[in-house]
Amino acid sequence: MIQASPRLDSKCPTGPIAERWDKHRFDLKLVNPANKRKFDIIVVGTGLAGASAAASLAELGYDVKAFCIQDSPRRAHSIAAQGGINAAKNYPNDGDSVYRLFYDTVKGGDFRARESNVHRLAEVSNSIIDQCVAQGVPFARDYGGLLDNRSFGGAQVSRTFYARGQTGQQLLLGAYGALMRQVGSGKVQMFPRREMLDVVVVDGVARGIVVKNLVTGEYERHAAHAVLLCTGGYGNAFYLSTNAKACNVTAAWRAHKRGAFFANPCFTQIHPTCIPVAGDHQSKLTLMSESLRNDGRVWVPRKDGDRRPASEIPESERDYYLERRYPSFGNLVPRDVASRAAKERCDAGYGVGASGQAVFLDFLDAIERDGEDAIRAKYGNLFQMYEKITDENPYRTPMRIYPAVHYTMGGLWVDYNLESTIPGLFVLGEANFSDHGANRLGASALMQGLADGYFVAPYTVGGHLAGRALPEVDTENPAFREAELACRERTDRLLAVNGRRTADSIHRDLGLAMWNHCGMARNESGLKTALERIRELRVEFWENVRVPGDGEHLNQALEHAGRVADFLEFAELLAADALDRSESCGGHFREESQTEEGEALRDDKNFCHVSAWEWNGLDEPSTLHQEPLDFEHVKLTQRSYK
Amino acid sequence: MLRSLGNALASSVGRKLVLGATGFLLVGFLLEHLHGNLKLTPIPGLGDAEGEKFDTYVEFLKSFGAGLYLAEIGLLLLFVAHIVIALKLAMENREARKQGYVVRSDRGAKTVGSASMHVTGALLLLYLIKHLLDFRFDAGFHESPAAFVAETLSQPVQALIYIAVSVVIGIHLSHGFRSAFQSVGFSHPRWNPLLVVTGRALAAVIALGFAWIPIYFLFFHG
Amino acid sequence: MSDESSGMHLTLEIWRQDDADDRGRMETYHLDDVSPDMSFLEMLDVLNEQLISGGREPVAFDHDCREGICGACSLVIDGKAHGADAETTVCQLHMRRFKDGDTIHVEPWRANAFPVVRDLVVDRSAFDRIIARGGYVSVGTGSAPDANAIPVPKDRAESSFEAAACIGCGACVAACPNASAMLFVAAKIAHLSHLPQGAPERDRRVLAMVDQMDREGFGNCTNHFECGAACPKGIEVETIARMNREFLSAALRER
Repeated sequence: MIQASPRLDSKCPTGPIAERWDKHRFDLKLVNPANKRKFDIIVVGTGLAGASAAASLAELGYDVKAFCIQDSPRRAHSIAAQGGINAAKNYPNDGDSVYRLFYDTVKGGDFRARESNVHRLAEVSNSIIDQCVAQGVPFARDYGGLLDNRSFGGAQVSRTFYARGQTGQQLLLGAYGALMRQVGSGKVQMFPRREMLDVVVVDGVARGIVVKNLVTGEYERHAAHAVLLCTGGYGNAFYLSTNAKACNVTAAWRAHKRGAFFANPCFTQIHPTCIPVAGDHQSKLTLMSESLRNDGRVWVPRKDGDRRPASEIPESERDYYLERRYPSFGNLVPRDVASRAAKERCDAGYGVGASGQAVFLDFLDAIERDGEDAIRAKYGNLFQMYEKITDENPYRTPMRIYPAVHYTMGGLWVDYNLESTIPGLFVLGEANFSDHGANRLGASALMQGLADGYFVAPYTVGGHLAGRALPEVDTENPAFREAELACRERTDRLLAVNGRRTADSIHRDLGLAMWNHCGMARNESGLKTALERIRELRVEFWENVRVPGDGEHLNQALEHAGRVADFLEFAELLAADALDRSESCGGHFREESQTEEGEALRDDKNFCHVSAWEWNGLDEPSTLHQEPLDFEHVKLTQRSYK
Repeated sequence: MLRSLGNALASSVGRKLVLGATGFLLVGFLLEHLHGNLKLTPIPGLGDAEGEKFDTYVEFLKSFGAGLYLAEIGLLLLFVAHIVIALKLAMENREARKQGYVVRSDRGAKTVGSASMHVTGALLLLYLIKHLLDFRFDAGFHESPAAFVAETLSQPVQALIYIAVSVVIGIHLSHGFRSAFQSVGFSHPRWNPLLVVTGRALAAVIALGFAWIPIYFLFFHG
Repeated sequence: MSDESSGMHLTLEIWRQDDADDRGRMETYHLDDVSPDMSFLEMLDVLNEQLISGGREPVAFDHDCREGICGACSLVIDGKAHGADAETTVCQLHMRRFKDGDTIHVEPWRANAFPVVRDLVVDRSAFDRIIARGGYVSVGTGSAPDANAIPVPKDRAESSFEAAACIGCGACVAACPNASAMLFVAAKIAHLSHLPQGAPERDRRVLAMVDQMDREGFGNCTNHFECGAACPKGIEVETIARMNREFLSAALRER
C-alpha cells in the first residue's frame, strides 16, 4: 500500500481544477516592486527553462546571475528539439481545448503525473505561443499568414506549432534573445563555461552555488536568495542517447546529495525514431523527429532474417506492424509504445540493416501522394541530416530507425511551486520530475520548459522571497567554504587516481549495462545484475581512471571524468528505482507486469505514487518517500491506442 | 543629426556604403571619360583620325570655366574618398586576423577580382598620378590635345602601360560593379546573376574601350 | 602491422596551444583503423582516447549536440571552416569523405575577435555581446498579443526562418578573408526585419548591432562571399545587402 510521506507536501491547491492556478497565484505573496532589486537569484542552465526564467525574473526587477557550461547560453541542448511545441489554441478547429491537452498529457504519461501541475501546463501553453510569436520565432504559417499546426504522436488533434525541423532552436533563440536583452540592460550577469559543482545550503535554505570556471579552473562562490536549477535530464547515464555530449546529471545529483529528493529516476523515455548505431565508435545517437511518423510508415519484412533491400521487398511481404497492432493510432502511437514495438520486432528476428537492430520508416507512399517537394518542405533538413550520417537518400530508400534514450521524465522532486525539498532551491524543465508522468508526449518538453520558466517560476519564486525570512549570507559563510573545499578535494582525487582507463571507456561500459538491463524492457534479475555491475564500475573508476592534465586550465577530460563519477552514483539510484517499481508504466516496462498482448500493465494499487528518494550517503540505501497521486478528473484506465 | 549620420557612415557598414556609392559615381565618370577618349580614334559618328572631334570636346569642357574646376574638385574628392576608405578597410582587415591559418583554402566564392581589389586599387592609384602628370598637368596637352595624346601613346612603353592599366581597370570592375550593388544594399536572388553578368560585361567594355586607344595609336595611327 | 584492417590510416596535423598566452604550434599524430562511418569528431574522440591512455593531454575542441544544430563545433579542416562538405558542420562531416593515407590539417577559427582558449577551442563571446545590443524583440514575458493577431505572409515567415537558422558557429568569420562577422549580424537582422514583430526596433537594432560588431574587432566586408559558401546553414549573402539597406535607412532616419 502507498504511504504518504510527511516530507512530501505537494502544496497543490484544491478546488475546481481550472481555477487552481489562479487561486494559487492569488495566495502567493508578492514582492514589493521596490524590493525586487534587493534579491539576487541564481539560474543554472540556459536552455528553454533557464533562459526564459532568467529573462522573466530580470524583467520583474530581480538581479539574476545565469550560468551555463557551454561557451554561449544559446547552445543549450533545447536547441536540438526538432518537432514542435504543443498548445491548446485549437486554431485548426478540430476539438482541442485546455482540458483535452491536460487529459492527453495525463493519459499519455500513464497516470503518473500530478493533475494540478499538468492542468497548469495546459493552461499556460497558449501564452507560450503568444510570447514566442511576439519574440519573432518564425513558426510555420499558411498562405493566409496564420500559424500552421501539425499532429504529433499520442494526440488525435493538430496542436503542434513548429518551425520546420528546428523548433527547439527557434524557441531557444527567442528565450536567448530575451535573456541577452537583460544581459545588455545589466539585470542579468552571464557566466558561460561554468560548471555547477555544489549547492550551498545555509540554515536549511539554498543560498548559493559553487561553480568551476572551466577555462581557468578557478572555483567561484555565488550567493543568492534563491537558486534555480534548469540543468536538463540525465539521459547520458546510458552513454548513447540523443542528448548532447555535455548533458549531465552533476548539478541535479550534487543538489540531491545536499538534500533534494530525486523522483522517479527510472522514468526514462526511449524515442522510437533515431538513426541506428553504426559501430563501436558511436559517440551519440541522432534523433529523427517524431513528426516524421505523420507521413512515414513503419514496417519490417514479414519473413524473419529477410535482408533484401527495401525496394526488393514487395508490398505483400511487408509488415506495417504499428498499423496492424494499433489501427486507430497507427504510426502515431505514443513513443513508449512505438519503441517497444520496434524492439519486439527486432528481438523476434525481423530487424533490418547490417545489425538487424533497425526498422524501416518509409516515405515512398507520402512522396507519391503529396509529391517530393511537399515532403521536402516539411522535412527537408531532417532528410538531409539522415543522408549526411548514413550516406543513404531517404527520398529513394526508406530510413532505418531504432529507438534510443531521449528524455528523462524523472528528476528532482518539486512541489507545485517547482521548489525541491531544499527550500529556496527550485528545479525547472527536464531537470524536475513534475509534468510528464511515466512518459512524455511529443512536443511537450518545449512546452514544459517554457511554461516553468516564463509563467510558473516568476510567480512561485516571488512567493519564496516574500514569504521567508532570508538573512544576508555572503560567500565567506562557512557553508560556502566547506562546499568549495569538497569540490576541490573531489577534483584532486580524480587527478590523483592515475590509473589505466579513460573516463569515456568506463562511461561506455556503464551505458551498455544500463541499456541492456535497464533500457526498454526491465526485469528483476536484469536490474539486480545492473546494480552489481554499476557498483563494480564505480569501484573500478575510482581505482583505475586516468585523468590527464591539471585543474588549472581548460581540461575537458577532467570535466568529463567528474560527470561520469556522478553518473556512476546516480545510475545506481535509477536501477534501484526501476527494481522497486515492479509495475509497468509509460517508459518503464517491467517484463513481469504486462498484458496478454504484451502491453504495459500498471499496478495502481501499489504504485500510483511518485517515488522520491532521499540520499543517505554512498553505499547506504536511499530512503524511499512516496507521494500518492490522486486522479479526480482523468479516470485511471488502461491506456489503449488500438 | 548630421553628427550621428557621420558616425554611422564611419562604421564598417557605413564606409562600405560610401565605397560602393563612390564606386558607382567613378564608373559613371569612367564611361564619360571613355566616351571622350574614343573621339581620338576614327569611329563613325564619334571620332576621327585627325582628333578634331576630340579637340572640340576638350574645348567644350573648357568652356565651362570655373564649372570645370568645380567638377574636377568634386571628382578629386570622389577619388580621395574611394581610395582613403578602401585603404583603411584593407589595413583593418589585415589587422583583424593577426594569427593566420597554416593551411588556407577557399570555397570558390572569392574571385580574382575580389581577391585583388587592394592590389588593383593601389596600381590604379599610382597610375592615376602618372596619368594626371602625363596629360592634365602637362602644358603640351593643353596646346593641342589630340596631337599630344597621339605623340604620347605612339611610344611603345607608354602604350603598353596604358594597355596594361586598362586590364587592371577591368579586373577591378569585374568585382567592383557587382560588389557596389551589394554594398549599397541591392541584392536579390532573381537579379544577382544578371548583375554579375552585367558587371563583367561592363568591365570588359571599359577595359577594351580604354585599351583600344593606345592600341590604335601604337598600331594603326599615322 | 595488419593489412586486413578495413579502416583508414590518417596523419593528423593539429593545432595545439596550452592557453591564450601560449604561442601554439602544429603537432603531428597518426591514427590507424579509422572507420569511414565515423564522424570527424568521433575520429578525434578515438585520437583523444589514445592520447589519454598514453598519458598525454587530449586535444581540446568545442562540441556538444553532434547533430549540426548547437553551433559549438568549430574546426578549420584543411583550410576550410567545417571542412569541405557544403552546408555541413564538422560534427556531421563523416570520414567517408577522406581517403586512406590522407594528411588532414585541423586548426581553430582564426580571428582576433575569437581568441584561442586552448587547442581548437576559441572564445566566441563577441557574438553574445552583439546579440545583447539588439538581437531580440523587446517583449516582456506576458505582454504578448494573441499569436494570430498579426498575420505574417508565408513567404516573409519563410525568409525570416531561413535567416533565423543561423547557429552562431562563427564559420562565416573563420572563412572570411577579412575575419568579418557581417553574415552573422546580417542574419539576425534579417530574421527580425522580415517580421512585423521586429519592425518597431529595426532602426535601433541595426545601428546598435553594427556598432558592437565594429567594437569587437571583426574585419570589414569586401564582398568575397566566402562566408555564405562556408555557412553550414546556407544563409545567403543577400542578407548582408539587406543589412546594408536597413543600416542606410536607419542612419538617415536617425535623429
